Amino acid sequence: MSGGALTLEGVGKRYGVVRALKPLDLVVQPGTLVTLLGPSGCGKTTLLRLVAGLETATEGRILLGGQDVTQLAAGERNVSMVFQSYALFPHLNVLDNVAYGLVSSGVKRAEARLRAEATLGTVGLAGYGARLPSELSGGQQQRVAVARALVLEPELLLFDEPLSNLDTRLRRSMREEIRALQQRLGLTVLYVTHDQAEAMAISDRIVVLRDGAIAQAGTPRELYEQPASVFVAGFMGEANAVRARVLAVAAGQAEVALGALRLTLPARGCGPGEADLVVRPEAIRLGGAEPATVTRATYMGSHAEYVLATAHGPLLAMLPGGGEPHAAGSAVGFDIDPAGAVLIGQEKEEER
Amino acid sequence: MPRLSWPPPWPLLLAAAGLLLLPWHYPQDGFALVSVWGEDADATSALAQAARHGRFWFWPALAALALCAAWPRALAPAVLGLAAVLAQALAVGVQGWSAPWLEALFGALDDRQFGIGLGGACTTLGFLWLTTGALARRGAFRGDRFVAGGVGLLALLILLFTAWPVLRLLAEMAAPREGFTAWASLAERLLDRKLLSLACVVQPVGCGVLWNTLLLAACSATGATLLGLCFALLVTRTGLPGRRALRMLTVLPLITPPFVIGLGLILLFGRAGLVNQAAEALFGWELGRWIYGFDGVFLAQVFAFTPTAFLVLIGVVEGISPAMEEAATMLRATRMRAFTSVALPLMLPGIANAWLVAFVESLTDFGNPVVLGGSFGVLSTEIFFAVVGAQQEFGRAAVLASVMLVVALGAFALQRRVVARRSYVSLTGKGDAGLPPQLPAPVRRAAMAVALPWAGLTVIVYAMALAGAFVKVWGRDWTPTLEHFRRAFALEWSAGGLIFSGGAWHSLGTTLLLAGIAAPITAAMGLLAAWLLARQDFRGRTLLEFALMLTFAVPGTVMGVAYILTFNLPPLELTGTAVILLACFVFRNLPVGVRSGLAAMSQLDRSLDEAALTLRASSFRVLRTVVLPLLKPAIVTALVYAFVRAVTTVSAVIFLVSAEYEMATVFIINRVINGDYGVAIAYCAVLILLMVGAVGLIQLLVGQRRLGRRAAVPA
Amino acid sequence: MTRLLLLLALLAPLPAAAQGTLNMLCAPAADWCEAIAAAFQRDTGVRVSMARKSTGEILAQVRAEAANPRTDVWFGGSAEAHFTAAEQNLLQAYTSPNMAQLPPWAQRVHAQSQGRCVGVSSGAIAIVYNREVLARRNIPVPQSWAELLLPAYRGEIQLPNPNSSGTAYTIIAGLVQLWDEDRAFAYLRQLHRNVNAYTRSGAAPVQAAARGETGLSVSFNMETESLVQQGFPLAMTYPTEGTSYEVACLSIIRGARNQAQARRFYDWYLTPAAMDIGLASNQYHVPAHVGAKADPRIPDMTKLRLIDYDIAAYGDAARRRQILERWDREVGSQPR
Repeated sequence: MSGGALTLEGVGKRYGVVRALKPLDLVVQPGTLVTLLGPSGCGKTTLLRLVAGLETATEGRILLGGQDVTQLAAGERNVSMVFQSYALFPHLNVLDNVAYGLVSSGVKRAEARLRAEATLGTVGLAGYGARLPSELSGGQQQRVAVARALVLEPELLLFDEPLSNLDTRLRRSMREEIRALQQRLGLTVLYVTHDQAEAMAISDRIVVLRDGAIAQAGTPRELYEQPASVFVAGFMGEANAVRARVLAVAAGQAEVALGALRLTLPARGCGPGEADLVVRPEAIRLGGAEPATVTRATYMGSHAEYVLATAHGPLLAMLPGGGEPHAAGSAVGFDIDPAGAVLIGQEKEEER
Repeated sequence: MPRLSWPPPWPLLLAAAGLLLLPWHYPQDGFALVSVWGEDADATSALAQAARHGRFWFWPALAALALCAAWPRALAPAVLGLAAVLAQALAVGVQGWSAPWLEALFGALDDRQFGIGLGGACTTLGFLWLTTGALARRGAFRGDRFVAGGVGLLALLILLFTAWPVLRLLAEMAAPREGFTAWASLAERLLDRKLLSLACVVQPVGCGVLWNTLLLAACSATGATLLGLCFALLVTRTGLPGRRALRMLTVLPLITPPFVIGLGLILLFGRAGLVNQAAEALFGWELGRWIYGFDGVFLAQVFAFTPTAFLVLIGVVEGISPAMEEAATMLRATRMRAFTSVALPLMLPGIANAWLVAFVESLTDFGNPVVLGGSFGVLSTEIFFAVVGAQQEFGRAAVLASVMLVVALGAFALQRRVVARRSYVSLTGKGDAGLPPQLPAPVRRAAMAVALPWAGLTVIVYAMALAGAFVKVWGRDWTPTLEHFRRAFALEWSAGGLIFSGGAWHSLGTTLLLAGIAAPITAAMGLLAAWLLARQDFRGRTLLEFALMLTFAVPGTVMGVAYILTFNLPPLELTGTAVILLACFVFRNLPVGVRSGLAAMSQLDRSLDEAALTLRASSFRVLRTVVLPLLKPAIVTALVYAFVRAVTTVSAVIFLVSAEYEMATVFIINRVINGDYGVAIAYCAVLILLMVGAVGLIQLLVGQRRLGRRAAVPA
Repeated sequence: MTRLLLLLALLAPLPAAAQGTLNMLCAPAADWCEAIAAAFQRDTGVRVSMARKSTGEILAQVRAEAANPRTDVWFGGSAEAHFTAAEQNLLQAYTSPNMAQLPPWAQRVHAQSQGRCVGVSSGAIAIVYNREVLARRNIPVPQSWAELLLPAYRGEIQLPNPNSSGTAYTIIAGLVQLWDEDRAFAYLRQLHRNVNAYTRSGAAPVQAAARGETGLSVSFNMETESLVQQGFPLAMTYPTEGTSYEVACLSIIRGARNQAQARRFYDWYLTPAAMDIGLASNQYHVPAHVGAKADPRIPDMTKLRLIDYDIAAYGDAARRRQILERWDREVGSQPR
């Protein structure tokens, strides 16, 4: 288990009788960005705060670069955190905010200011030092918060939904900046978000949490293409979940029947019988053998969205640009591109 | 193996200094460091007492210190040290062993010890912090030694200065009277007809003081709440000119020493007062002496507590979102209906809160009933006279005090429930676009009809009372004079320099010094407690909060009696010293510091502290560099309040003053009792001026928060 | 916290003077107390630390401090209070070499208390009236206890409450000794109709009379005279049947830390020079020394018709309790 910048061994948290986090193991390798992804209340922020030292784990061990920090206070751990609200000290100017951690660690004030100034340059805010946080835009405040955490050169940098207060456009450019910075400086980052697009865009690995436990961990591609559960599939982008029948399994390939359709997919541990099949909306092609009726049609510019009523329940289909429009109420057939469909492994499902 | 560390943790140094270098006991005659190894055993350090003077009961503490030095991070030696200090303090008193079984065990002891002094205090704190530090290292308090130390310190101080005295007083309730058992004495005191009689319902005689007190408190609270509501509505919801002046007027009673209102009322409404004389001269009416007794005390208390109710209610009235009433008017409600069906119900919990605050204030009021009560007795005056009057019965005082405590606690519990339910007051973070709606005309007229004459009356009462400082014999000879000021505050130049020859200088100096010392301690402890309660999570947090708030419900008289009972004997022998007065001020006013701290803290985003924590700041540094600068308004409130209360309080300190440490209010009440009103009022006037000055000075010293353009966080 | 520790260091008492210190609790008016303290300090070099408190407060404090006294001498306050303290073994017996020159009433207190206290001054109870109020209402000036029962005085008399006031107890105990207990209480019950209030403090009724808040009160002559000198329209009569009086005492606290200085003060006060301080500060007490100057404005004790007041018997706690309980039952709780 060792060798990671951060290692969690059976770390759990309960508040009285309420269980916030079931005991879990996690390793973050040096120089990587790992995202904790999940719906609100899944325990991702609790986990982050345990690592930060803002709360104490009720069980398990937290190792930072091999050293047990479970009982250490926040200030004694070599980690920094960027807060959702930025938490910039409103009574200190930008430079003093950034220098705060250095001064706390005993660096002389003059030197701390120099280093803070340099770090402000790194995040593109050179010359803003004398302003008060309230005199900056949201994006600039965000950068100050990052600079303030960066300047300490921590072993591990924590981000708690850092982009949720920004508008969509800014969010996209900020997340690219964070990813670029992380890769340029080789930072180890634990990043919390509930936005899967954000997670996909910046992560080396993603940990999906559900009800205080890890639902699945892996690279963005693994999670998207081989979700361990309908929940993970649904959380990693739009997905249609249907019940299908596995007719036969041979050499790891399953023969799957959905109504009149027949698909050959990796079995992923499924045996003959009922199974969950996840179908991405872009994998549904209109004009196939299985009957369906269009109940809603929406034109989105780059593509068109259709909600189909089928024998397997409503399905969402996305068709790229040029396709011929179908009006609501028209009967269409559909079939499925096997590349965009995946069987949910039975035993994994049990495990959950 | 012992783990020696260098430098040693500073609590260890503190404990060592206390045991080895500083005189252990409170100095009886003078204080000099050179005497810590001297011949006078009582002036020496614990080590010297043990080694040179045969006081073997110090050896366990010294041994614990050695163990702590060897294992400075371990829990057991530190706990041992605390226990050893406690044991020696309790085992040996002023007359040798303090319990017979100790004497049986160790043999007769021809020695005694005085109260704990500098050395003892340092050692106790040292061992305490070694203990909390060791606990924190074991993972308690999230491993934060500063938090652990803070909680330990607060718990110790509250135990010593609140819980212990109150319990000591309650124990006195059952002190046996001659010829009675303890239980019979208790029963007799509790079932006393003077306490519980209901005779006044059927006959024109006095009822038991409990019913007097409750009736008075209920009436005063109702009156003050109604008036406070009228003022609050007028100030926030009318275009009344002079609203600022009205606000100022309501602050005046807060900084007024007790008695001023009572004296002003006598001069105005007394039998020989202006109103009566005018009525008699003009109409031949004899209005009599109604001011003495229930009516007068009621009137004075309404004067005194209306500002308190107003200050509570103005927040409530301002907190009702205008959008609520606007919505109601959009739904075809008349302005009157919108007010009565929407605004008023929303204000109700706030009104109930104001009522309960005024109720408790009336319950604990001493100054007004003592000046205006006549035959009419309430609990606070009965307690006072039970102790100092001809009865000389601590037991009865203790029973009355505990009855008062129960009522106060009941009101306090009720208030907490009411305030907890207040959450539906519609104060949201969003900026409401609406303007505060104007009051419906009938309500406005009614409020004005009540409030404006009252405001006028307040001005007249103050003017009358303060006029007494500038005339020869108050109520008799109205020749203008500054004689009273000269008698109280004369200054003389002599060869030796300036001589403060006025009679009031001594008590004024003491009052300002002690209030000036107590205020920052109160504010610091209050804010520390608020920060611990709001931001830290530790076992016993709720208990600590309850204990802190409990002090608020302990009436001053009760506290004063409990203090002299408790702190006259070693180990804490504080009567006659300034420390007992300081402790009284600090612990009486602590809850207010905690409250203003908690209120301010709830408006500070928690992630600010957390951000600082993750930036390597220690908890102490977080408090100093982030929390405190952002809490400046709360600091000002706490400082001002602690200072003003320390200067104006009378009921608690009347038992605690001594020759060296006389307080201004006690000086004043002595003059009032002697009928020397001129000097008393001159003194009050000077105090009011000084307090206004002090409030300004505190504002200046603490300074403003600098937040840039978004400085909208309310105080 | 460091601040608190610093404080403890700062507030420690300063080194004492060479002649030692004396801690005194003083019951009479502040002016007098201050003058005595200053004079003793000047004469002897002993540093005096004096607090003025009411008699009840002093007794409460002395009792609370019993196990560990902080006070050395207690000056002033009624003999009954000193007797109560003596009964609880709170006072130290002492016989001064200067005793011989004291008048009989002062010496008798010393003898009755087995040397635990000595009389230092005295004053008598008088019926006090506001001249202007009586004139305006055409009420005659009362000359006796009996006349106070007249309907003319209805609602015009103010008395202190014996549960809290030593003055009130002195009045009632005096009446009990003047007649007998039953007759005294029968009188008080009748008087009850004319009383407008029983105040908590003994000094309050005369204050009220001074400002015309009540027409009459029953109070000590020295308090009244002091108000007369301030210009209030008060006058007194001493009841023809006889009246009560108070002997104010001086005592040394048992276990006092400064015994030598306490005795020095005791001896010093029993001299004419020290007793004249009261006269100089307008106190209107009768001094307890044949050589001391008498105040011309206050009648000599020998010129008054005094009740033969047995301080020892009526200072006794059980007797006091019995009288107070009867007063509560028969007077205090009755309708008016």
